[in-house]
Amino acid sequence: MIKLYDFELSVNCYKARLLMSLLDVAFELVPVDFYPGWEHKTEEFKRINPLGHIPVLDDDGFVLWDAHAILVYLATRYDTSRQWYPVDDPQLLGRTASWMLFAEGTTNTASAARLHVNLGYDFEIESVRAGAHRLFRYLDEHLWFTEREGRCWVCPGDHPTIADIALFPDVALAPEGGIDLLDYPALRRWCDRIKRLPRFVVMGGIFPASPGR
Amino acid sequence: MNDEGIAAAPMLDAAFSWFPIASSEDLPFRHTYHTKLLGRELAVWRADDGYVNVWEDRCLHRGVRLSIGLNDGAELKCQYHGWRYASRSAGCTYIPAHPADAPARTICCTTFPVVERYGLVWSGEEPLGDVAQVALFGDEGLTLRPVPIHAPAALVAERLRSYRFRPNPTATGSSGECTVESGDERAVVVTARDGTAEMNVVFFVQPVDARTCVVRGLLVPRPVDDAVVGVLRHHNERMSTLRDEVEEAAAVMPPPPPMQPRVRAPAPVAEPTHTPADTRTAPLRVVVARKWATADGIAGFELESIGERLPAFQPGAHIDVHLPNGLVRQYSLTNGPGDVVRYRIGVKLEPDSRGGSKALHESIREGDVLAISEPRNNFPLRRDRATTILIAGGIGVTPLIAMAQALGHAQLDFRLHYFAQSPAHLAFPEVLDLLGERVVRHLGLGPTETGQRLQEILAERRPSSQVYVCGPGSMLGATRQMAAELGWPDDAVHFEYFKNTTVVDDSSAFDVELARSALHLRVPAGTTILEVLAEHGVIVASSCQQGACGTCLVSVLDGVPDHQDVYLNDAEKQRNDRMLVCVSRAKSPRLVLDV
Amino acid sequence: MWSNSSTRPIVDSFERCTDPVALNQWHPLSAVAELRRGVTYQTLLLGEPLGYGIDDAGEPVVWPAKALHLPAGSPLPATPPAGLPTQVSYGYLWTTLGDPQPLFAIPEADEPDRRVLNAATIGIATSAPRAVENFLDMGHFPFVHAGVLGAEPHTEVVDYRVDVVDGEVWATGCRFPQPKAAPGSSASAMTDYTYRVPHPYCTILYKSCPFDESRRDVIGLFLQPMGEEAVRANMLLCVVDPISTDTEIRRFQLGIFSQDKPILENQVPRRLPLSPIAETPIRADKSAIAYRRWLSEMGLTYGVIPAADGAA
Ligand SMILES: [Fe+2]
Repeated sequence: MIKLYDFELSVNCYKARLLMSLLDVAFELVPVDFYPGWEHKTEEFKRINPLGHIPVLDDDGFVLWDAHAILVYLATRYDTSRQWYPVDDPQLLGRTASWMLFAEGTTNTASAARLHVNLGYDFEIESVRAGAHRLFRYLDEHLWFTEREGRCWVCPGDHPTIADIALFPDVALAPEGGIDLLDYPALRRWCDRIKRLPRFVVMGGIFPASPGR
Repeated sequence: MNDEGIAAAPMLDAAFSWFPIASSEDLPFRHTYHTKLLGRELAVWRADDGYVNVWEDRCLHRGVRLSIGLNDGAELKCQYHGWRYASRSAGCTYIPAHPADAPARTICCTTFPVVERYGLVWSGEEPLGDVAQVALFGDEGLTLRPVPIHAPAALVAERLRSYRFRPNPTATGSSGECTVESGDERAVVVTARDGTAEMNVVFFVQPVDARTCVVRGLLVPRPVDDAVVGVLRHHNERMSTLRDEVEEAAAVMPPPPPMQPRVRAPAPVAEPTHTPADTRTAPLRVVVARKWATADGIAGFELESIGERLPAFQPGAHIDVHLPNGLVRQYSLTNGPGDVVRYRIGVKLEPDSRGGSKALHESIREGDVLAISEPRNNFPLRRDRATTILIAGGIGVTPLIAMAQALGHAQLDFRLHYFAQSPAHLAFPEVLDLLGERVVRHLGLGPTETGQRLQEILAERRPSSQVYVCGPGSMLGATRQMAAELGWPDDAVHFEYFKNTTVVDDSSAFDVELARSALHLRVPAGTTILEVLAEHGVIVASSCQQGACGTCLVSVLDGVPDHQDVYLNDAEKQRNDRMLVCVSRAKSPRLVLDV
Repeated sequence: MWSNSSTRPIVDSFERCTDPVALNQWHPLSAVAELRRGVTYQTLLLGEPLGYGIDDAGEPVVWPAKALHLPAGSPLPATPPAGLPTQVSYGYLWTTLGDPQPLFAIPEADEPDRRVLNAATIGIATSAPRAVENFLDMGHFPFVHAGVLGAEPHTEVVDYRVDVVDGEVWATGCRFPQPKAAPGSSASAMTDYTYRVPHPYCTILYKSCPFDESRRDVIGLFLQPMGEEAVRANMLLCVVDPISTDTEIRRFQLGIFSQDKPILENQVPRRLPLSPIAETPIRADKSAIAYRRWLSEMGLTYGVIPAADGAA
């Protein structure tokens, strides 16, 4: 059974939980008292991940950390349709990798702002917010044209990829960091589409969408 | 395009103008869109029938933004406490914390006028006249990607005059020759010509707040389909450049003062919108839009509002219909959720009719105007039970048809048992068909067989199930008795019809004296003090009308109130010097109020 | 540069408070367990920047930053100028900018077999009274805490009793059907609640304990008003639970908390309106109605929108 070292309120842990749920993969959670216990900084936890961060995936002894790496692994290993991580289509795979890197940016800005507001992390708050807005402005434009071309997801193709999963929590929880989505209606519509995927699960801070067609 | 491109409307105060607030494609199926106009936040959603709702972005209960709410196609549901508001009227249709109560009619969100034209959704505070007229090309334009800009609308409109573009972006070369054909603070028309090609962009500026606006462009004529995405990208590039320049300029300007949204009529309701139950006022005028024979001896009527839109209603609600011959009759609404344009009723021709059903069947025709009351609901549908059994006898099906549709829409389990003489006697067969297998028809049964069938239906009692029954008196009696014998708890079997079911006991009758108004009034059973006062022109401000908000608190100079509110605490109630006149009554034969 | 785009600016400085009611209260600053000894921390209380910490002897120290500004992380000063009154209660460091009455008592916290811990401290962009009112509210359980504290269609809030006793608001006889009321509960149960508001910005909940029918778990919500529209919410747990780990208990409460947070941050206005007609109360809101009136009667103005005539 897959084990996920997890903290409920972590955006990065949620990315792993969400993909496993969408892939219908059974897993077991190992709660880590990230806050207020700072358990991930204990010597004991550092024996699991020497870098002292979460999530950490343990698939039958194979241990992997970094949310986006975990998404790559899970999709490659468990998605028999090979669409979430499209390894058979070099161009699409390239796009997916590119958007995964973009998602590093949203995590380091939007989700950092959230950590600042929620848990008092020390970030230059106005600067991370401005950085998030720059990325969201671009992403909103991208998704608007995506819709005009009759598609729904961040990468070309008619199936969502792990890039959508890597980006979605950063966007959906951005308001908690004081980053309003008022200027990004295409982002809000894309969030609804993700929320309507079969087996979608929420986390605290993300509202469900009404059922679609 | 020449100056006639935009009708030269005089510049009005922004509050009286129409502004585009969304593109049509911002409102896809069951989405809730969030925007701001003149500093006011708006929740915008399209119902499944295509109607676009533009509402103040606050749930009336606790102020939570409705733009995070759920659009179910017919109603918007607040995320906090699940309050539901109907499309069009924005009236509250359900308060889950009190499933047995019909929400007060005063609970209605603030709505704004809406027009959908040229691929844009238009609204405004209190807009006058029509939206801007884009002449010549009518609806044949192409809506550009809306571009939010962090700069004041006036500055942006000014900069839009220097907007330049290529009429045919796939052709190489210069921008062609661009001219500003017309423009003011609200709209700018730029025309580009390149040889024979000519293209116009009409820009409308949505003032979001003092420091932000959204530029919404419309391209006319619409390019050929193959070129659309290229043209959209070209304009988006040009607009992004313009945006960056304007934002840079705005950043060094002193910030304008914030825009305060205009104060709209506040929540307290100073007029008696709650119609007293026994004064037959008929505030609504409707036209008979359709009349048809829905079954043997049953006429269906669709009633459409003249002027104001129809108020919200809940399943189980009825209206008073005032007939030309002076008679007043109550009819249940059969409408399902989201079906809010016309009230639909079914009228059975009663052989011993004193003229009510006879008038409707024989004299009233399509196109006739009738006076009706606002909907009232003495038969509210609880939606907090896992299963609901609806039992209808004959014309008693009408409120239950409304309930069945509401339960179906909410994906709650139900069965509608419909007892009728024959298939030809089944009213509203088209609705029954839509409800599918959940309708069980019991046809042509005599009294004994009907009893047996009822026995079978009621024998299927599960915890968390409930029964609603409506039909002839004999059927009500039999059902009531059988249900009791089979162990159904009283509160799971609903017979009440045209009778108040709230916890308030309004059975007492007493006198009130109004010290300041020098009036002596009688409060009969079934009528509140508030209503009696209103009838006599004495207006006491009220809001929730269920004894919770304290708005209608008045001083008691003499007499003993029968407190039925939750606003005053026990000690205050014991002092007997103040009371809430919306629900509380009198224990003494007479009360003296300081009114 | 982006602040103009946001409808929810979370600013880092605030107007200072002039409301004597708010000033003359004890306010929590931090869970003591989270403070490293001898280190300076910074925060805001009622718009006033403060430095604080626990010295090497374990004694709390709090002072206004205007008297001595030290960057966060610097060594804690031994005797800062204009030091403020302090106390450590229920695991939190409390201070005041005025002249308060003694802090309310929670006798259960002294019972030896209770687990007393800080479940969470989280920043929320709302006023303290909005957060208190949400804590008193059962009607939102099936919608905001679906599957945990409630589940549709079981949405009815049955009548309960509200009294003002010894200057505190008490709501008793509250009952709600819950799928999973506590980390230790497995099956759905009708859960009994008592709510208590002993302080304008603090509230306490007593609920059925899944491990011992004769006792009640105690959960406190103590708001630190950083500004009128920004708080840090501290959640105290004082529970009888011999089985769950601290991590599990905290995870459960944090999960609940994280569901309330976006609701609170989407309430408009952020300050609690005290006029009874500003919003639409229903019978289920009895405790909130009483709380708003109680705030009006004590004359609180910080974090609220007072009723126009100054009375409820
Ligand atoms: Fe909650």
